[in-house]
Amino acid sequence: MKNQANPWLTSNLFVLGLGLLPAAILIGALLYFTAWAFAFSFTDLALVGRKSVEWSWVGLQNFERLFTRRGFLESLWTTVIFVFFSAIVGQSVLGFLLAALLRGTQSTIRSVVEVCIMLGWLLPDIVAAFLWSATTSQTGLINQLIIVPLGFPPINFINEYALPIVTIANIWKGTAWSYLLFSAALDSVSREVVEAAKVDGATPFQRIWLVQLPIIRPHIATNMLFITIWTFTYFPLIFAMTGGGPGGQTQVLAVFLYNQSFSRGNLGFGSAISVAMLIIVGLLSLVYLRMLREPK
Amino acid sequence: MLRRGFLTTVAAVSLVAAAAIPAKAEVSIMYIEAFGALIESGIADFEAETGETVNAIKLPGQGYDQRIALDLAAGTAADVNLIDSFMVSELAAAGYLEPLGTMAAAWDQYQYYLPGLMEVASYQGEVYALPTDTDVRMLWYDLSNFEKAGIATPWQPKNWADILDAATKLKEAGVQYPFQLPAGIKQGEATTMQGFYMALLGADVPEGDRNRLLKRDTNQWIGDSPALRRVFDLYHQVYVEQELNPADLNYATDIGAAVRQALADDKLGILASGSWEDACLWDCNNPPSREDRDAQVAWTPFPGSGEPGTMAATNISGGWTLGINANAADKDMAFKLITTIFDEDNFKEWTLANHRMAVRTDISESTEYTADPFLAEATKLAATTTGRDTIPGYQTVSALVQQATSDLLDGASVDEVAQSYHDALVDEFGEENVITYE
Repeated sequence: MKNQANPWLTSNLFVLGLGLLPAAILIGALLYFTAWAFAFSFTDLALVGRKSVEWSWVGLQNFERLFTRRGFLESLWTTVIFVFFSAIVGQSVLGFLLAALLRGTQSTIRSVVEVCIMLGWLLPDIVAAFLWSATTSQTGLINQLIIVPLGFPPINFINEYALPIVTIANIWKGTAWSYLLFSAALDSVSREVVEAAKVDGATPFQRIWLVQLPIIRPHIATNMLFITIWTFTYFPLIFAMTGGGPGGQTQVLAVFLYNQSFSRGNLGFGSAISVAMLIIVGLLSLVYLRMLREPK
Repeated sequence: MLRRGFLTTVAAVSLVAAAAIPAKAEVSIMYIEAFGALIESGIADFEAETGETVNAIKLPGQGYDQRIALDLAAGTAADVNLIDSFMVSELAAAGYLEPLGTMAAAWDQYQYYLPGLMEVASYQGEVYALPTDTDVRMLWYDLSNFEKAGIATPWQPKNWADILDAATKLKEAGVQYPFQLPAGIKQGEATTMQGFYMALLGADVPEGDRNRLLKRDTNQWIGDSPALRRVFDLYHQVYVEQELNPADLNYATDIGAAVRQALADDKLGILASGSWEDACLWDCNNPPSREDRDAQVAWTPFPGSGEPGTMAATNISGGWTLGINANAADKDMAFKLITTIFDEDNFKEWTLANHRMAVRTDISESTEYTADPFLAEATKLAATTTGRDTIPGYQTVSALVQQATSDLLDGASVDEVAQSYHDALVDEFGEENVITYE
């Protein structure tokens, strides 16, 4: 490897080392925090009270509780539903459809749509949360503009359909990313290939499904990887909108982790949850990384 | 998510950063906006008197308890902190707070604090914070909605059945939130204090603390009891079985604002809350006139369950405090800020204007205070009030109570919730510290 490096660098190993230093520090910091979370997951460390000073090792107890007590498995299931519908079905598919449909359309229409979806992305999570609460509450916009004028009694969407509402809000919030990524990916598909398919008599749907999709497969996998990880650990919008409720209906793992660590002050158990999340996300990433490889 | 290792690093980095910046005499204070009127006029006095600048950090009430705990744990908290009294012993046990004993003894107004009320701000006999006010809890109700539902006022429920009965009538009259009984995790301590504990105290006889979370003479947590199950059942009745209230207010983006708005819009029937609502139902720092309030709302004591031998009406008191960060750079200056805020003129004016319950005899025995009609009535409730179980561990138990009510909203049965509550207590405190009443 040394032979392939720039000769100037090989003769100046000190400079090379210096250049690598920031990366080494960053990697060291990442490992350090992960190691702490891992270590604390075997303790009963608390945020306040005696156990914040006099904590002790409790072995696998925290991990055992993940499976024997109410909370973790329920939250895991809620998270899976939330990730599947908001990230995979919602953001990815919607982002792709928008990107595919808007290709070649008039630039003004495209600009308007782009500005609209970018707004969702750019708004701070808390502002978005208030906006969605104001839209979906019993006295909110949907009731005032649609439900009540049509003569129906107002529906308390955020109370009765909490998980679908936060899912829709997250789709609204995050579609811009997928849209941008897929737009760039579709731009990279060479025009000749698509034209050739057209000449061969492929319908628009066939051109997308059989020509463009296989070409941008690595981009799809990359996008899935990113948004799955983000959505799996996503916290602010859900917490602000519902705090995990009503009951535990929208208590995704990130909210569960927050409640355990900071409301209950149980940092040890909270660390165990975060380690479990790390493992799950790690496994998911492996699946996507396999998808990224070119088929043999 | 933040963890302790990270917190320590943050603390270390901020210490280094603090050392690098030229020292500037400054005291910092963190508080919630509901106490703005008291603290801000105190800060103005302090700045005028000492010439120091105060770095004031004002925050919304929601999530504030977690923020305080995190900041103190990380060593990044302000010098002076407003702390809900239930957290004082936990924070003191962790070594995050500065004991005030010596400093307080040298302050001429310290003698007026009611000794009984100082207990909530103490840990192992040492005072760690000074209380801003105390409170009592009751049921507030909307007069126009009661009229609409045909319920006679003044309303005087004798037991839980009377409350459920009124809530049913309110529901039938189309009131959106017939009985807002604080529930769930997002409400935090409000769920435990304004809802659960108020009901619990009236759910069984007081003997042996059968009506509490803690058996106080042995410091054992009560893992299961008829009282706990009755309260679980009350929540189940209100939110699931009889659907006497939708759950959404408990999980709103800004709960305080949502509750106030619902009341202002006449969408609320009965609200389980406390004496501060006399000012805070509209705006804690700008209470409307007495006439306006009396025209819209009234209150009644929270009745007992009606089971034989239980209390006719229940009450539990809490309150907020000001304490000093154990890591504060200049503790004398920090204490000076506290005493300026609590200086009689400033403190008394705020107490009276906001109808808070006084914690000091020089205020509570003043003619203005005893002449206030609301305070006079509310103080009668204070005669039979009790305190929270302010021993370390209470915060965890309180979080478990919030979790239990949340599970009930999810449709879990009373038996399931009782079982999980018991198991969680054993997980946290060990078999030997948890007892069961048959």
